[in-house]
Order: sequence, then structure tokens, then C-alpha cells
Amino acid sequence: MRRIAVTPVRVAGAALIVVAAAMAISAAVALLDGGGGAEGLFWSAVITVSVGTALFFGSNVSPSADSALAFASVAWSWLAVSLAGALPFLLTGVIPWVRIDDALFESVSGFTCSGSTILSDFGSVSQGLLFFRSMTQWLGGMGLVVLAVAILPALGIGGLELIASEAPGPTADRLSLRVRDTARRLWLLYGGATCIVALVLFSVGMSVFDAVTHAFTTVSTGGYSPHAESIAHFDSFPIELVLIVGMLYSGASFSLHWHALTEGIGAYRRVSEIRWYFCLIAGAFGMLLWVNHGEIEWFQNLRESLFYAVSLGSNTGFGNSDYILWMPAAHVTLLVLMLVGGMSGSTAGGMKVLRLQVIFRYSFRELLRARHPNAVIPIRMGSTTIEEQVAAKVVGFVLLYLGLIVAGGIALSGLGVDPVTAFSGSVSAIGNVGPALGEAGPTNNYLVFPRAGRVVLMALMALGRLEVFPAMLMLVASTRGIAQLRRRRRLTHSTFSH
Amino acid sequence: MGAVWVLTGPVFLVCSLADLLDGGSDFLALLLTGAAVAIAGLLVVRLSSFPSTLPISRLFAAVVCGALAALIAVTAAHLATGVAHNLDVALVEAAATITGTNASTINPELLSLGMLLFRALGQWLAAAAIIIVLVRVLPHLGVGGLDADGGVATRSARRLAPRSGSTMARLVTLYVALTGLLGFAFLLAGMPFIDSIVHALTTISSGGFSSRSGSIGSFDSAPIEWVAIFGMFVAGTSLPLIFRAMRRGDLHRFVRSVEFRVYVGLIATVTFALLAWSDGLPSAASIRHAIFHAVSSISTTGHIAGDFNDISFGGEALLVVLMVVGGMSASVAGGFKVMRFMVLGRYIGRELRRSVHPTVVEKIHLGRSSIGETALARIIGELFLATMFLVPTVLVLSADGLDIEGAFTFAISIMSNVGVGFGEFGPLKHLGALGAFGHLAAALLMVIGRISITPVLVALGGIGEPAQIAIRRWRTTRREVVIR
Repeated sequence: MRRIAVTPVRVAGAALIVVAAAMAISAAVALLDGGGGAEGLFWSAVITVSVGTALFFGSNVSPSADSALAFASVAWSWLAVSLAGALPFLLTGVIPWVRIDDALFESVSGFTCSGSTILSDFGSVSQGLLFFRSMTQWLGGMGLVVLAVAILPALGIGGLELIASEAPGPTADRLSLRVRDTARRLWLLYGGATCIVALVLFSVGMSVFDAVTHAFTTVSTGGYSPHAESIAHFDSFPIELVLIVGMLYSGASFSLHWHALTEGIGAYRRVSEIRWYFCLIAGAFGMLLWVNHGEIEWFQNLRESLFYAVSLGSNTGFGNSDYILWMPAAHVTLLVLMLVGGMSGSTAGGMKVLRLQVIFRYSFRELLRARHPNAVIPIRMGSTTIEEQVAAKVVGFVLLYLGLIVAGGIALSGLGVDPVTAFSGSVSAIGNVGPALGEAGPTNNYLVFPRAGRVVLMALMALGRLEVFPAMLMLVASTRGIAQLRRRRRLTHSTFSH
Repeated sequence: MGAVWVLTGPVFLVCSLADLLDGGSDFLALLLTGAAVAIAGLLVVRLSSFPSTLPISRLFAAVVCGALAALIAVTAAHLATGVAHNLDVALVEAAATITGTNASTINPELLSLGMLLFRALGQWLAAAAIIIVLVRVLPHLGVGGLDADGGVATRSARRLAPRSGSTMARLVTLYVALTGLLGFAFLLAGMPFIDSIVHALTTISSGGFSSRSGSIGSFDSAPIEWVAIFGMFVAGTSLPLIFRAMRRGDLHRFVRSVEFRVYVGLIATVTFALLAWSDGLPSAASIRHAIFHAVSSISTTGHIAGDFNDISFGGEALLVVLMVVGGMSASVAGGFKVMRFMVLGRYIGRELRRSVHPTVVEKIHLGRSSIGETALARIIGELFLATMFLVPTVLVLSADGLDIEGAFTFAISIMSNVGVGFGEFGPLKHLGALGAFGHLAAALLMVIGRISITPVLVALGGIGEPAQIAIRRWRTTRREVVIR
């Protein structure tokens, strides 16, 4: 049989096989635990792996490779994986088939590392499925890092390319000359970080299951927890401290971590983004402390403020209390954190600190230009300048991002959600945070949104995770690919007829 | 120097107007403040000289100082008449007056006639001053004159006359004529005489102060509301465009203007959405109110009619978006202006296309004119800077007693000089719910929203310039030391 030479299909196939492996592991966990659900997980693994192998071996890598194609592969495989990820929820009967969109929502929220859930009764869900849920986030998170490091620079919309311009040296952009090598190193680092977090969590008193699942969702900044009350379930300060460190670490750039590992801690000092990242979180922490002062007892205040500053600053979305009860000013602070998100090249979502930096410089330059109309002023970050083209991309991205938030907010409030919940939900979804403000707080689930609203949120999550532009490219590249195929077929037809 | 020239303008206007307003119980107080302000203005004029050249930073500083001078004068008037008891209340009332924002802590029905007229005239004159700024100051931004509100060149807004002075005169004449027309229309629609004067003044200037505590809605009359809709619609339309169309009698000009089409389209869309998302079938009254709300938001007037609490959540979100968008460029309305948003939309589109074809070179077109990269960068910079100012203000407002929905909508609304907010407190009660800090922040945001943020910051930078130079010198010497 002739293989179709379409890269996206092959990549999607590979991704499906990986997800099938995750399902199999979860099935094993379910068997060990004995809480049921093993059968459903097993069958979804079988279905996924058969579709995956068919796609993988039925196709071949396209002869030509351009950035649009690479993006299309990422976007399409994301779609395929999200579809497959909905299977276990349906097959185990946790979500009935009539609510297939909810299963899809849970799956999309998992793979995009959002952590917003529609599950309301955690007691009835088997441990195996909860494990799978955490695992989707873990896989999604890593997929993102690979995307940011290996593929985004090709498009020139920020990502690592900007870091590269800051940290001089040939190895800055990609950790190695080959994409495959880079990806392997990042996987190593990512896996290592997960193991360490899991071990430490275990040592401060979590069960093995809890430690592993929380490690998965911490390092991927996802925020799923197998407990309905999230971290508040444990009510232990040491656990929170460990998670805080874990979230801070994963909200920062992974390639930077690799540099720091190989070249010593000095690597962090070369990049100004990390300073901004810490300043932002510290500032938010101070703000929250101040606003909550007098409302909450001081140690509790310290604990909750720090936890939420980090949890929302890295767009993880774990919760250790109900911040909906806080003052409005605290909500505004949290919203800003959600909007900005973590560093570029990390697993965190949001607009990214780097883009905020560029925006700051850009606006400041406009001020200077208004003062001195004929001045030529480069946009500097640290000691290097940023090209106009890159700056324009960043600006375009931020505008589109804000536009999407507003559009999502209008759509949601049009569906009858109150504006605070609608707009914060929109921010939270596109930033892949999880909890929002208003009715969709950290102790609630997303069933507060109407069904159509959840579809809107799902789209926003996917757009936010794929960094908007690739999602657009996905459509462009596929139409182009189909056109190419058709042209080729026409060519072969004409040669036959001659 | 340069500042003083513009500074005296509003001051004189304020005092002459204060003198005009006899009648009412505050006559004496207003007269005294007017006299004091006039003397101060004269003194300043005497002690300064008019410079032959105006560098841009001075010009910006002049605009900012002019606004500040008007602010001080109006604050003084408020304090002297005893309308506002505290400095912060007086300041925020003054800011609302000179920026044309319908936010107030005072029940207008308790005001004396003189003060009522004073506040309405203040809004009207401030809008007239905006026309002067449009003509006189913006050309110096290096991107062409009237055709460049914020740096966007349009065909419809090119200069009307070879000299900026006569352009100005024509526009002001038009403005006055429109005001008269509107006042007459209000009178015909059945409004009392004084009320129609006040409403004509505040409607055409997109200000929004009213003589009744329930705004236009308190008259509860369909003709009056239609007249108000028309007035607000005109206030949000580009004045030069109206002028051209009127001079030639060529209504087709409106249709040809891209911005005008988008402006009308936005109003129509939002009206439709408001109706579609409301409960119950549309009636004549609900249609009228939907149009009223849409027009009141986009022209940043802030008049209210009908039941504001009836608006659905989606409608609320859309109205806030309209407030951000604001009127057409070169109109007296506040907001970010329709034109700029169109440009931003095109910009995003271009970036999307660029991500597909990385080497493409494209210019952004609007109608038949293309927009330069410098103007583009300025618009974007302005938007981001405004957002950066907005967020801390929301923080202050929410810390000072507003709920989060109220804080966000009210901050956006006063930045666009509308003044109406959503949330727990009802449309017009936000300012009253705030403390002193909130008042100051609100006043600052209103002023920044009105004269746009770049001039303010540049003017501030101009004040800090000597310090900057000193720092730079110190830095270079330090670097030399290090090098040695």
C-alpha cells in the first residue's frame, strides 16, 4: 500500500501511540488500586493504539518541510490527542455519552494544562482515571516545551528565539544543533523534575498516588488534583511549600534550567525575563498580603497569598483556600497574574512575561519618540536589541490575545454568565490557568458555565495553548496541503492518460 | 512660556462664563471666583512672553497645563460655592466637568441654577477646547494636522482651509450651530427651557451632565429621547466630516467614509445584540432604549434612559466594549476612537498573514489612504500605555470600596469619559461610593483619558528633563571611571 506523504498525519499517529501508552499505565494503576475503571481504560488504549498505528504506519513524512507544516502537525496532533483523551471518560462511564462535549472539555483542559474541570463528584471516579487525567496534563506540558523550543523559533514569534538573543553563545537557541537532541534533553530534565517533586511530596507526607499525580500536574503547571478541594485537602504547609517551589520552577523556562544545570547557576542571571518573572510574583504576593491584611489571620494570610501568587503566576491553578472570599482588589491582582502567566519556554500558559517585557519597551519607546520625533530608538532587552519584525510579531500576538479574551468574554456573557465570571473565565481559559473569578472559583467546577459556554472555553484553551498563531497556521497549512495533493493527483492522472 | 499661552485660554473662558451666570443662589461665590481666576490669568499673561517657536514637548506641556489650569479653576468654583465640601470631591467634580464625564457625587436637582449652567458650560467649553487642540496641536505631532488624530490620515478629515485659524473658526461655528439646533429641538420635544439648554450643552459635547438625577430618562418622553439619540450620535461623529457634508449638501460623503460606516455598523450591531439578549419581545420602547444605550456608550456621553438594570450580561459587556471604542476620530467624543481600532484590526490581520508568509511586505490601508508605520506604532503604544494605567487604577478603585465588576467597568468608563458604570451600585453611584483615594485616581484617569496618555507622560518627562540630563551625565562619568 502506498503511504500518504503527510507529516501531520504521521505526527498525530505518533502522539496517539504515546497517549495509548499513558492509558495502559493508567489501566495498570486502576488494576492495582482495584477501584474499577481498568476495563474502560484498557479498551480506550486499544482503540487509540490501533488508530495511532494506522495513522503512523499509513503515512510518511512529507518530502518538503516548512514551518507551516510543522505547526500544522503540532496543532492537528493536539486535536487528535484531545479526541482520544475523551475516550476513557466515556468508556469508564464517568461521563455519559450524551455529554460527549463534557468529556472532550475535560480532555482538552487536560492536554492544554488548564486544569478546569467539570467533574463534580470525585469520590465516584476511579483512581486509574484520575491518574490518567493527571497524565494528560503531564504529556501536554512537555509537548508544549518541545513546541516552544524546537518549533516556535522557526516562526519567530517569541518563544526561545528571544531568550537566544539575550544569552549569547551558539548553544543558547537550541540546546543542541539537532531538534531531536534538544527534545531529548528537555524530556530528561522534565522527567527528572517530576521525579524529584514526587519524591519530595512523598517525603512530606503524601501517599504515593497523590505524590505522583500532583508531581505530574505541578511540573506541567496543569493544576488537576485528584481531590475536589485541590491542595486544601491536605491542609499541610510543608506540602504547599514543596508545590510552591515546584510551580515556580516549572513556570520558568526549561531550556534556561538546562543551561543552569550544565553551566552553573550563573545562567539565570543572564536573562532578564526571570527577574521580571520573580518581581511580578513577589509584587503580587506583597499586594495580596497587604490587601488581605486584617481580613485573614497573619500566618494564614502569608500562606494563602504566597500560594496563590505562585499558583496563578505560573498559571497552574492549584487552590488551597477559596479566594473568592477575598477583597475585590485581591481579585484584580490575581487576574493580572493569570493574564501574564509564566516565562516563555516553560510549561505555563498565559501571555508570557517576555511578551510583557517587549510590550513595555515598545510603549516606552513610543513615548520617547513622541518627545523626539526623529529619533531612531532600538528596543533593548538586557544588552541586546530586538528586531522590529520580532517586536511586531509580539505586539500582534498580544493584541490578538486581548481581542480573543474580549470576544470570549462577550460570547460567554451573551450566553447568560455574569460578566465577572465570563471575562475572568475567558482569561483563565486562554491562559490555561484553571480557576477563574466570580462563580468559577477554585472550589467550584466549570459546570457553572452553560453547555455552549464550555465549548467556547474549550476553543479558547486550545487557542491559548497553541499560542494562537499556530492554530491559524494549522488551517492554512492543511488547505495548502490538500491543494498540493490534488495537484499531484491531477499530474499523475494526466501522465496516465497520455 | 509656551504653556502659559494655552493656560490663559481656558482660564479666561471660565471667568467670563462665571460672570455671565447671574441668577441662582451661588451668584456671589461664582462671581468672586471668576474675578479671582481672571486676575490670576491676567497676571500670568503679563509675566510671560509668547515664544516664537514651539517644540513638541512644550506643546504637549501646554496642553496638559491648560487642562490643569481649567481643573484648578473649576475646582475653585466648586469649593467656593460650597457644592463640594472636600478638596478631593471638588477635584473629581472638576475633572468630570472638564473631561466631559458623566460621573458625579452630587445630586443635580439640589444644585443652584448658576452652578448647573456652569457645569454644563464647562463640559461644552472643554469639548470646544478639544476642537482647538485637534486643529492647533495635533499638526505638530509630526504626522499632519487634522488628518491625524492620533496619527491616522484620512481623506475625510483633511484640512478644511489653508490656515489652521480659519479651520478652527469654521469648526467652532459648526459646533455652536449644532448646539443651538439641538437646544431648539429639545425645546420642541417638550423639555423645559433651562433643561433643554443644559442638555443641549452636555449632549453635543458628549459630556453627559444632566439637570435631573435620572438623566434623560427622568423626562420619560419618547421625542426627547430621540432628540438626545440624535445629539449624541452627532457628538460621536467627526466634525470635519459633518462640515464637508453640510457645505456641499453632499450626504453621500457620509457613506463614503469608511470610519462612519463602521461607526454606524457598530451601533446597529450592538443595538441588535441588546435586543436579542434581552428578555421579552422588543417593543417600541425597548428598541428606543437599546439604541439610546448603544449611542450613549459609543459617543461616550453617558446619558441614561430606560432601566439600566434591565440590560443583560452580554449587553453589558458589549456596551463596555463600545465605551472603549468611543466615537469617530476628530469628534469631541472620548474613547480610543473607531479609526484606531480599525487600524489595530488590520494590524492583527497583517501579522497573521505574515506568520504564513514570513517575508511579505504589506502596508495597512484604510479606505483609500495608507497608514505609516510610525503612526501605527504610536497607536499601539498609546493603547498599551493606557492599559498600563488602567490596571493600577482598577486596583485602587477596587481597594477603595467598589466591587470588581464595578471597578472594571467604571475605570474603563471614566477613562473613555463616559462615567456610567455597571455593578452593585447602579449606573451613577460609583463615584459616591469611593473614598478620597478613589476620587483622586478617578480624576487622574479622566484627565488622562481626555488628553490621551502620551502628552501627559511627555509633559511629565519635560518637567523631569533637567534631572534626566543630570543622571545621564553622572552615568557617563561613572562609566568613564570604570573604563579607566
